[in-house]
Amino acid sequence: MAQPGGLDRRGFLAAGGAATFLCTIGGETVPVRSPRDVARVDAAAAALPRPAAAVRRDPIDRAQFPTPEPQPGGRRREYWIGARTVSWDIVPAGRDEWMKRRPPSRSRRTIRAYVYQQWSAGFAKPIGRPRMPGPTLYAEVGDVLVVHFGNLDRKLRQAVTMHPHGVRYNPEYDGAYLGDFTRAGGFVAPGEEFTYVWEATPDSVGAWPYHDHGPNHTLNTLRGLFGAVIVREKGAPAPDVEQVLFLHSFPPQVTGFSELFHSINGRSYAGNTPTIRARAGQRVTIHVMGMDQNFHTFHIHGHRWRDSSGAFVDCPTLGPNETITASFVEDNPGRWLYHCHVSLHQDAGMAGWYLVEQ
Amino acid sequence: MIQEEGQMHRSHVWLAVLAALLLVPASATAGNYPPPSDPGSGTGKSHGKGQTLTVCKRGCDYKNIQKAIDAASGKDTIRVKKGTYRESVQIVGSRYDGLKLIGDPKHRDRVVLDGKSLKSGDAQNAVLLNNADDVTVRGFHAVHYKANCFFATNLQDYVLDQLEAERCGVYGVYAFNSKGGVMSNSEAYYNPDSGFYVGQTPPQKGRKKRTLVKNVSSWGNVLGFSGTNMRYTTITKSRWFNNGAGIVPNVLDSEKYYPPTGNVLSDNDVFWNNFNFYFGAPFKIPQQSAASIPYPIGIGILLFGSQNTVVENNRIFGNYLGGFAEVPAVQLSGNADPKKNEASILRNNTVRGNDFGGGNDLNGRDMLYDGSGSGNCFEGNTTRSPNLPANNGTFVACPGPNPNVTDPAVLPLALTIGLGDPKDPASFEKNWIKHPHPARKGVKPLEHYGG
Repeated sequence: MAQPGGLDRRGFLAAGGAATFLCTIGGETVPVRSPRDVARVDAAAAALPRPAAAVRRDPIDRAQFPTPEPQPGGRRREYWIGARTVSWDIVPAGRDEWMKRRPPSRSRRTIRAYVYQQWSAGFAKPIGRPRMPGPTLYAEVGDVLVVHFGNLDRKLRQAVTMHPHGVRYNPEYDGAYLGDFTRAGGFVAPGEEFTYVWEATPDSVGAWPYHDHGPNHTLNTLRGLFGAVIVREKGAPAPDVEQVLFLHSFPPQVTGFSELFHSINGRSYAGNTPTIRARAGQRVTIHVMGMDQNFHTFHIHGHRWRDSSGAFVDCPTLGPNETITASFVEDNPGRWLYHCHVSLHQDAGMAGWYLVEQ
Repeated sequence: MIQEEGQMHRSHVWLAVLAALLLVPASATAGNYPPPSDPGSGTGKSHGKGQTLTVCKRGCDYKNIQKAIDAASGKDTIRVKKGTYRESVQIVGSRYDGLKLIGDPKHRDRVVLDGKSLKSGDAQNAVLLNNADDVTVRGFHAVHYKANCFFATNLQDYVLDQLEAERCGVYGVYAFNSKGGVMSNSEAYYNPDSGFYVGQTPPQKGRKKRTLVKNVSSWGNVLGFSGTNMRYTTITKSRWFNNGAGIVPNVLDSEKYYPPTGNVLSDNDVFWNNFNFYFGAPFKIPQQSAASIPYPIGIGILLFGSQNTVVENNRIFGNYLGGFAEVPAVQLSGNADPKKNEASILRNNTVRGNDFGGGNDLNGRDMLYDGSGSGNCFEGNTTRSPNLPANNGTFVACPGPNPNVTDPAVLPLALTIGLGDPKDPASFEKNWIKHPHPARKGVKPLEHYGG
């Protein structure tokens, strides 16, 4: 029998893939083995004072940087993104359509997640329901992404940020907590907002993650504070079908559950994870990103595509915050499975359906 | 449009009048104001539990509110039971960070603050918050104070919720020189300046605290909302009707931190703002107030100088002069001080997704913009009445960059049709284009008080 907050034998085996990790906040290092440790880390993060500008003695930390503008012909693409915690069911359908595995009860699979959510201008109202990953940000080469980020959370009371990969930014818009050397965008306290300005340069083309890089980012990215940026060549058309998939996990020491969930976009098990749909002849692009402490592989049954070297692949490996992109013209109708081929991950929920119509 | 073109020759006169009148600061009117001070940069959050103090006429800890406040400190909650309290409440100083002053949020009219019989010095504000962060005031009805009903200044993160502000001397619900805060679920009416006001917001470099005005109603005031040099404020899901003008972010160099910038006006109902108070009003028009500035009467939203402001998804109808106007702050245009001149210029304002004249309740005109400044654009607005200019040449599309091009005929014409002479109330109406209002449940048009 599983004990609340503890591990039964099966859960222990599943949790074997979730190593203990260390969180250091405010000089205190906490091995995170249990929800109690998580609470300690959260308390430390909430108590962390804002880095004082006075300690920035090195001139490089006082340097001022201009706010980027679009290149000629480019545009400002504005987003309003709020971060807040929400109640999140990891298996909302309540079943595993593939292996008929019976998931835990709702109370043992529902967590307090931390998500980015798109809002209308001025944070007047949320646009759509909270999602994991957060909203995908789109730009073309020559554009600037203007991201008004608001820390809207009232529960955890800790600073969070948005840190992008792939796009160009100066230190002002890094969105990273750097201890005493932190700039404004690296420590956005509850109730505050900060506007990041990121450039889509020619070497930004592709799909990239963004995520929290505040003082408690290890925990908060595990809770769901991540999303994607997609940059295209100027005027390049979008594929007919485009899907972002984040491969990540909810370890027991964070959730307090006996079971380790390996997830795709915040959900576990086919029928809960995204079901991708396409038709024969369509151009399909699937961006897959790693967002936990593990290496994963990505396999789509019945399909192959070329990797960046031009070689055909059907099960490439990706590490934390790495992206692989599978692009192909669909020619193989049917019901297909996609999944991580690390069996422990696959069997703990990292799988989904890909349905191709004639 | 022929009629409007015929009036252009008088525009230079009104430009001069406007420039002179706008030298009078709207916010300098309320006497005995605390001087502005730095609202600080901390989080302003106070956590933990304090004690609860009760106030009522019999059987509570205190018989008047101020006595309870004097005995309280931050984290405490003061609960005020139903009754009428004839006092002016002051919450001043950081010792009150985190204080909650709670009347009856479900029946705010049951806990009344009445300044009518108070001596002048005691009757300034129903509730004054000064230099106390994270303070909540909820569930009160204030009436008959000489300055403001509810006034927050030099602080951060105030919450002014479930309030009713009636017939105070200047503003109904007022925040000045403050960072962050909420005005919500409240109503303001019959105030001789604006029902709600956020002004002189200190610039915040990098991280910012946004002010939220949400689910409020403002009617029967000179202005529904005034925002002199207001920054980082979102006004949403609110109703602005039967005022002289609905929502008016504006620039004045008599206050610090011009121009207004970083504001969002979203998802509001802005209608029937045709209250010509010069013909008579349930309040006394002060010698110096917004009422002494001849803001146009009959307009829904007026950006009188603004930068980086978004006006989107509002429903704007039944305003006889016009639904929306965006004009430079002409009194500062060409000022020798480059900062003041810059503050006068319209920059990077976005007007999108608004519905004008819906429900067969037309505005006199829908949108007005002279094309001056830079980065101003219009997208997806539904209009049903003529715009100014009628050829829509200044309403460049979003997203940019699409350069703004000034139509030199528009601003003089706008000032001509928009301005009137307070000594001649009818002058404010002579350029109205009136349409009948379809009936709205629970609301009647107010154009002439008592009329």
